[in-house]
Amino acid sequence: MIMNYPKLLLVLLISTSAFSQGKVEPTPEDLEIANVLKTEFPDDEVALISSVDLITFDFDKKNMQVTVKQITDEEMINLDSRADIQKYCFYDGESEITEFEISYINGKKAGFQINDEAYKSDDLFHNDSRVQYADMDFPLNAYRYLTHVKKEYKDVKYFTSLYFNDDYPIQKKTISVTIPDWLNLELKEMNFEGHDIEKTLTTEAENHTKTHTYTLNNVPAMYQESNAPGPSYIYPHLLILAKSYTRDDTSVTLFDATKDLYGWYISLVNSLQNDNSALQAKVNELTESAKTDDEKIKNIYYWVQDNIRYIAFLDGIAGFKPDEAANVFNKRYGDCKGMANLTKQMLLEAGFDARLTWIGTKHIAYDYSTPNLAIDNHMICTLFKDGNTLFLDATEKFNALGEYADRIQGKQVLIENGEDFILQYVPQAKASFNKETLSYNLTLEEDHIIGSVDRHYNGESRSQLLQNFHTLKTENKAEFLEFYLNQGNSNIAVSNIDTTNLLNRDQNIDIAYDVAIKNAVSSFDGQIYIDLDFDKELATHKMEKRKTDFIFSSKKDLESVTRLQIPSGYKVSHVPANISISSDNYDMQVMFKKEDRALVYKKQFRIKNAKVATSDFEQWNQFIDQLNALYNDQIILSKD
Amino acid sequence: MTKKLLALLLLFQSLSVLSQSKEALEAKNFFWGEADKSRTVSDIPANLQNESAVILYKNENYDFHKYGKNVTYTSSIRKRIKLLDQAAVDEFSEFSFQERFYSSKGQFNWFRKGSTTVGIKIIKPDGSETEIDVEAEAIEVDGENKLAIANLEVGDIIDYYYFTKEPFKSTYAFGFEPVEKPLAEEYPILEYKLFFETENDFFINFNSYNGAPKLSEIPTEKRNMRRYELTEINIPKGDFTRWFYPLVELPSYKFQVYFARSGKFEDLALAFLPKNEATIKTSVSQQEVLELYENRFRPDGDLGDVKDYFKGKTFEDDAHKVTAAYYYMRHYYLTRFMEAFYAKDANISPYPFMVYGNNVVFIQSQKQFIRHFTEYLRRQKIAYEIVVAKNRFDGTLDDLLIENNIEILVKINTEKPLYASFFGPHTNINEFSPLLEGTEVYLLSASRYRIDQINKGKLPSSTYADNETKKNITLSLNEAMDGFKLTAVNSYKGHEKSDQQYDRFLYTDYVSEDYKKYETETWVDMVRREKDQEKYQKELDALTEKLRSTQKERFEDSAKAEYFADALEDYTYQINANGRYSLDSYFIFTEGFTTKNTLIKKAGPNHIIEIGKLIGGQIDLTKKERERSENIYLPYPRSYNYQINMKIPDGYSVSGLEKLNTSVDNATGAFISTAKIEDGVLIINTFKRYKNYFEPNSNWEQMIAFLDAANQFTNEKILLKKE
Repeated sequence: MIMNYPKLLLVLLISTSAFSQGKVEPTPEDLEIANVLKTEFPDDEVALISSVDLITFDFDKKNMQVTVKQITDEEMINLDSRADIQKYCFYDGESEITEFEISYINGKKAGFQINDEAYKSDDLFHNDSRVQYADMDFPLNAYRYLTHVKKEYKDVKYFTSLYFNDDYPIQKKTISVTIPDWLNLELKEMNFEGHDIEKTLTTEAENHTKTHTYTLNNVPAMYQESNAPGPSYIYPHLLILAKSYTRDDTSVTLFDATKDLYGWYISLVNSLQNDNSALQAKVNELTESAKTDDEKIKNIYYWVQDNIRYIAFLDGIAGFKPDEAANVFNKRYGDCKGMANLTKQMLLEAGFDARLTWIGTKHIAYDYSTPNLAIDNHMICTLFKDGNTLFLDATEKFNALGEYADRIQGKQVLIENGEDFILQYVPQAKASFNKETLSYNLTLEEDHIIGSVDRHYNGESRSQLLQNFHTLKTENKAEFLEFYLNQGNSNIAVSNIDTTNLLNRDQNIDIAYDVAIKNAVSSFDGQIYIDLDFDKELATHKMEKRKTDFIFSSKKDLESVTRLQIPSGYKVSHVPANISISSDNYDMQVMFKKEDRALVYKKQFRIKNAKVATSDFEQWNQFIDQLNALYNDQIILSKD
Repeated sequence: MTKKLLALLLLFQSLSVLSQSKEALEAKNFFWGEADKSRTVSDIPANLQNESAVILYKNENYDFHKYGKNVTYTSSIRKRIKLLDQAAVDEFSEFSFQERFYSSKGQFNWFRKGSTTVGIKIIKPDGSETEIDVEAEAIEVDGENKLAIANLEVGDIIDYYYFTKEPFKSTYAFGFEPVEKPLAEEYPILEYKLFFETENDFFINFNSYNGAPKLSEIPTEKRNMRRYELTEINIPKGDFTRWFYPLVELPSYKFQVYFARSGKFEDLALAFLPKNEATIKTSVSQQEVLELYENRFRPDGDLGDVKDYFKGKTFEDDAHKVTAAYYYMRHYYLTRFMEAFYAKDANISPYPFMVYGNNVVFIQSQKQFIRHFTEYLRRQKIAYEIVVAKNRFDGTLDDLLIENNIEILVKINTEKPLYASFFGPHTNINEFSPLLEGTEVYLLSASRYRIDQINKGKLPSSTYADNETKKNITLSLNEAMDGFKLTAVNSYKGHEKSDQQYDRFLYTDYVSEDYKKYETETWVDMVRREKDQEKYQKELDALTEKLRSTQKERFEDSAKAEYFADALEDYTYQINANGRYSLDSYFIFTEGFTTKNTLIKKAGPNHIIEIGKLIGGQIDLTKKERERSENIYLPYPRSYNYQINMKIPDGYSVSGLEKLNTSVDNATGAFISTAKIEDGVLIINTFKRYKNYFEPNSNWEQMIAFLDAANQFTNEKILLKKE
């Protein structure tokens, strides 16, 4: 191709608008700053020399709402030889981004294109979140940019918190909140302990405002760690509690106390029509042949679990107001609020006392003592019966009545009660409730191990398996069970699988099957070396370089017993040493013993609070090292 | 004036609203109107009850109409599906589509947008039907419409269609995207219908393969309108397994439609058009291939730079000369620009290509390459033929139907023929896609200037020895016997080479070498202003440094996966030979690292080494794969040859060598391993070979034999026994 000059030039001009004048090369001082920051934050490619949030409030007379302006000015610096990053900012139906600028260090516009896109999430079918972002490049080490973003909230209700940590480490983070006299707003300090946060308060008499300024130096980037607790547990932040405002001598309450938050929630609930005629026939069908109340409740609860697909629309008020029960019933889909409302209305139709219930899952650190829209994220249904309280969460598939998923256990709930509300806690189950047992009975047959296996699953270990199983194509189900049982290891042939009913969520699961295992036994010079562990649980759970607690999906209680018959003419000449450990969060034990002609290998792993805390890490890691050494150590049989 | 314009706009708007609903009605009537026979079908045969879902009726339609240059292309698909399990319900519970869009066909036309109409209804087991109000229920975000399907349950039938009308304008001949697919899909189909409606100026190539029914013509009321259909019943679901070419094995069809308004445009169309619109073209003859290409491959190109480079140079023979020319062109027309591409991509320079001046040659298509390269051959008076070939995965040369499926090479008729194909940065002379190897091809040649001869020929094949991955691994255990140091020299040649080169090279690894070899100026050197030069060089260096560091992380991860290591330390990587100047030269790199608790198991005072795992993960066939009923289509013959050297630690002896000596060698492939101890070093050699491109299903057992032997080897261990 012969390149056509004018055309080429035009294309280039359009596509590289970033090349306006003003690029400034880093100075030796910049390099020194980058160097210092890189030493402090070796895993980060970019840092913020400074980040300042300026928050101010205003009043929108037309809509009678307190509005918020958040101006964020940052100075970014590249810590690597080069960096290509995205600078972004989210907004939604309740907020907008009115300014988004990126400049070179001399203040001239850098000309990066600002894109605006809907935010897509796998968990939400539709939501009104959008993101503005720019693809930025830092061509040299210590290259700097200035960024400026102005975001405006239409209603202070949706402005819930301010964090010090961000995607990148910050040398100096400043949050400055200017509160006018007419606004009663508390900045509740969360997780400040252990952080050297400097606070100042100044009064601007002429403006009738007070300004709270918080400064924190050397703030690390938010941790990119899997299985971490929610950010509200880990990072210092300010929870914004907008209590009331006074205009023209009239005071208007916002969320001053729990009752105010409840009042807003219940006003949304009260605006529902609750025409249940569409679901009456189904309620009758589900309850007419039920012999007991328990059976009626289960029939309804399980029907909602099984027949309503979880599809979430998080769009404006739909993020807070439940959908009509009849809509959810007719559509056969809904989000947690829709499912909670349908469960409630069906139970009401069947003559029970059911209530809508707000809850913040385990991901959120708060309870209802700090009224704010960030304190809850989920809705369930509460049933009062014969002096007992039962919580029903139909988003949990294959969840038995009276059992609670770990993510809501121990959390405070806000239960509707007409004008008033009730606060209670979801009961906590012990780890033993989720007990999983494995029992191998094995014998040696030349270089093979053969035998039978029994597995029992209780509580959450059970519902998880049932749920996985039921999302599979019918034709893949048999294959899946085999794969699940041998964990994809083709050296373990699984046969004669016998299971309890994999549709019944009220029953614990038993699975019995036969195994024939290749390549686990090696014979050298008349001695037999056996790798007797086919599961090696927790082998990869060493907490290295980790800064946050490790959270398991549920409490664990595993007991695994392997019984190996010693072939005649042989004796056990080596077994690894027994190990055990105990703390508030776990009890773990692995032991070998001989019983008659059998070697018994027993593992007990109990994770009592579904977590390993950072304070446990040292001890925990020592144990995992020992455990891996044990897994790696072979059992030796030698001739008598 | 403003008022008039406004009125016009309003009129236009209301018209478009009207036409939209007209389209929706048209679509609905077309699929679900009185004539819809499939509405009564709701039962499935007993043998399909265990499926996840069964398609009761599938209907695809293509409709081509025009008015002058204005084309209206309508395509639609309807499926009526019985959902038999939760997985199927989940699969069909959400839909997305673009209701309005700009056509990418023909000339850009902002005035008329394309539209997609979606219709969905749910039929309950009791026969009651609910039509979904798509317009009301779909949510539109940034032009994308999403719809969650209400009240969908196991046992329901979902009946849906997508109906897309795409108007566009094309002055010149325009070829629609070819469609080539098997009748089978993920779910079994009880009844299938493919339907076409066209009129004059639309040319259709269509044929059915591997037992699929033929397209048949349906009489129409108008002389210039034509209708065709293909119907089939009881199509089993397709199982798209490893080493399988669906278009070669399964009942399939292929078609392409071409729009050409007059004989002049017909002649210009790059397609094997039927004689006229009334004829469906089902095959392409040798003569037609010649006719299409006789003018298109006229040698052409500005060879000034090549001439300069060759001035004063002499060569042993034509083969050497052509080889030198190929590599020179690869540099001069491609790798010379790499730096500029990176500078552009990384925003280092706004106009990096300006330095090359106005008339720079940059080859960017197979056909351009052929014309340029043959111009060189013509001037040098070196005999050549143009090879017209077809990939093995879409059938034989006799089944040629669609021009897009053609691949072009040059065969240079030197004493031992050479082949030249359009180059990437590492392509060698004599290298062409393994998908063409051993296939029947047409050879075009010119008795004088113009191409006027066509013959059939066959491209050469490669052997497993030609395509090789070779590793020489040296392993030494640490004193604590809980870890080892590993050094691996990795060598690749033939078709095993290029993927590795793309994976392992940074552009700087070969660009600087080429600049030196051909004494050409770097991009930075060509930049005029000294200040810019300095700046660009600095920024390119920073980019390279960053790429190196991310590359190192990637290589470490890849080594971890290959050698089953959770962690490794002191990783080193070095290129020994880049293999860029002949197909049979090795690309060689060495990597090294230390690791702990990897492949070593304690056994009392002794240690078991999982030495077999050092040949990397092998194919571990599942039960289902073992029961394969299809023929086997392999990428190309190849071999994996490993040598593992492990120094036996002092004070230890080795047991278990017998299991490391194994041999399965048959007509399809081999896995052979040998182990011996020499001078205190355990030396293991393994050879894994795939011998052919194709194996009939009757050979599957033989393949299983060597695949299993290789997989079993990865389970073998040795004992290091404390003496």
